[in-house]
This record gives sequence, structure tokens and C-alpha cells, in this order.
Amino acid sequence: MVSETGVNMYSGVIRFYSLADLRKYLKELLERYQREFDRSSNVIGSLLRTEGQKGMEVIMSKGWAKVGSIFVNIAEPDKGSMEVVFQLVTEMKPRLAKTEEVLKTFESVEQLPIPEEATFLLYLRGGVPERLVVDTTEPKPTPYALAGKFNLGP
Amino acid sequence: MLEVAVVTERIDATRLSEKATENAPSNYNLNVSLSEKSRSAETLVLNFQLELTTPQQTAKITVAGSATLKGTKEEIQAGITAPDDSRPPHVLLTIYERVYGLVYTVATGIKIPTPLPNLLKKAT
Repeated sequence: MVSETGVNMYSGVIRFYSLADLRKYLKELLERYQREFDRSSNVIGSLLRTEGQKGMEVIMSKGWAKVGSIFVNIAEPDKGSMEVVFQLVTEMKPRLAKTEEVLKTFESVEQLPIPEEATFLLYLRGGVPERLVVDTTEPKPTPYALAGKFNLGP
Repeated sequence: MLEVAVVTERIDATRLSEKATENAPSNYNLNVSLSEKSRSAETLVLNFQLELTTPQQTAKITVAGSATLKGTKEEIQAGITAPDDSRPPHVLLTIYERVYGLVYTVATGIKIPTPLPNLLKKAT
């Protein structure tokens, strides 16, 4: 299995031990989405530029057939691939915008009166940060440290 | 499963005396220091420094770097916890194992005794 394009739109809960780590994670998430969005939309854009006079015809394939519960395209693999990339770009746009908005307004979260010992649970739905729990029930772990002398052996 | 990635950032080796030769018996003491650099839910990054010295102060090797542990919270905790008071935690065994090749090469290069390859237990 080889992933051709797209990002894994993760749904789940992630714990963070500081708001700085959370901000860093959101920034990296946004960069990843932006990279993938640019890559996929460049493919579509370049095709539309070269065959633009034909309009959306170059993207929309008529070769789809419903087989069981899935649409299958045997007749026009090029157009079919382009159409799914186009669909992917369309779906990525609002996710990208929402993640960007969360990061832009993250300062207001940072200004909340948050207890020093709190940790943070971020709920991601389909790759989009949706909710944040300020958790005071599970405190930050004590920073790990080890110092000592050890023997070596053959 | 816990993954440990070790990056060596610095290695210093000094031949402090002419008595230090490749053939001299290897009896280094190992001084270890591990400290937390950053932590997230599934990652713990530790800075490490290993200082190897011979009791006669004839040679000294210092290796420093970072170790990144990736796994579940429980796996990370198990990796940094020593099985008992006298034995080293799993992460320290892994760090020593990963840097040993470099330490061996450097020690051979400057003709000092090569440290022994296995980290055994806490010195009393």
C-alpha cells in the first residue's frame, strides 16, 4: 500500500502537557495540511491551465460505475484520478481554513486563567481541532531525571 | 511498542596519561546523567551525558546527546523505570548500546583502553 496523496484526517483525543506544546502541534498540523493542499491543487491547477478551454470536463469523468457500494472507474483512469484529487482538494479547503482560524485565535485560549498544573486534552474530529479540555485532574508528571554511577561488564 | 531514537551530539575523549594504552585493562567508571528536555503524550525527549573515566585518571570519554522515546504513556514510563534499585532503566541500556560503537572507535583511535560493552548495575 502506498499513499499517493492526502493526509490522515485523524479523529481522536491527544493530551498535551503545556499550551506551548499544543500551539506547536497546531502549527505543524496546519503546515502539513497547507503543504498537501498546495501539492494537490497544483496538480489540478496545472491541468486546468493546459486544457482550460474545455472547462471542468477535463476533471469530471463519465467512466464511473457503481459496483456494490463503491464507485469504480475502469474506462478513464486519468480523468478518474483527477476527479478524486479535485474532490480531495475541495474537502481539504474547509479543514485547512478551520485549523488556520483555531491557530490565529489561539492567543485567547492562552489568556485564560489556567492553573499551572493543568494538562490539555485536544479533541480532533476528522483532522480539525474542535474542543479543548483543561484537565486539572491529571497533573503534569514530575520531570524525569537520573544521575548515578554504573559498572560496565564484558 | 516503545521506540528509542538516540542522537549523539558531542563526544570528547582525552588521553590523560601515557600509562593509558590500548592494552591496559579496561576498568572505566561510568557516570550517568539523564534529564527531561520535553514531553508530550506519546513522546519523551531526554538529554543524556555519559562520562567514562578510569580510576587512575588516565583516560576520559564524555558522550552527550538526546534520546527520544515514542510510545504510549505506559510504555514510556516502563522505559524510564529501573527494574530494581541496582539495575539501570531500559532507556539507559539502549543509549549505551547505541553510542558504544562510536565510543569504541574513538577510544581505539586515540589508543586508550576501550570500555566494556555492557552496562551492568549501579555502582555502590
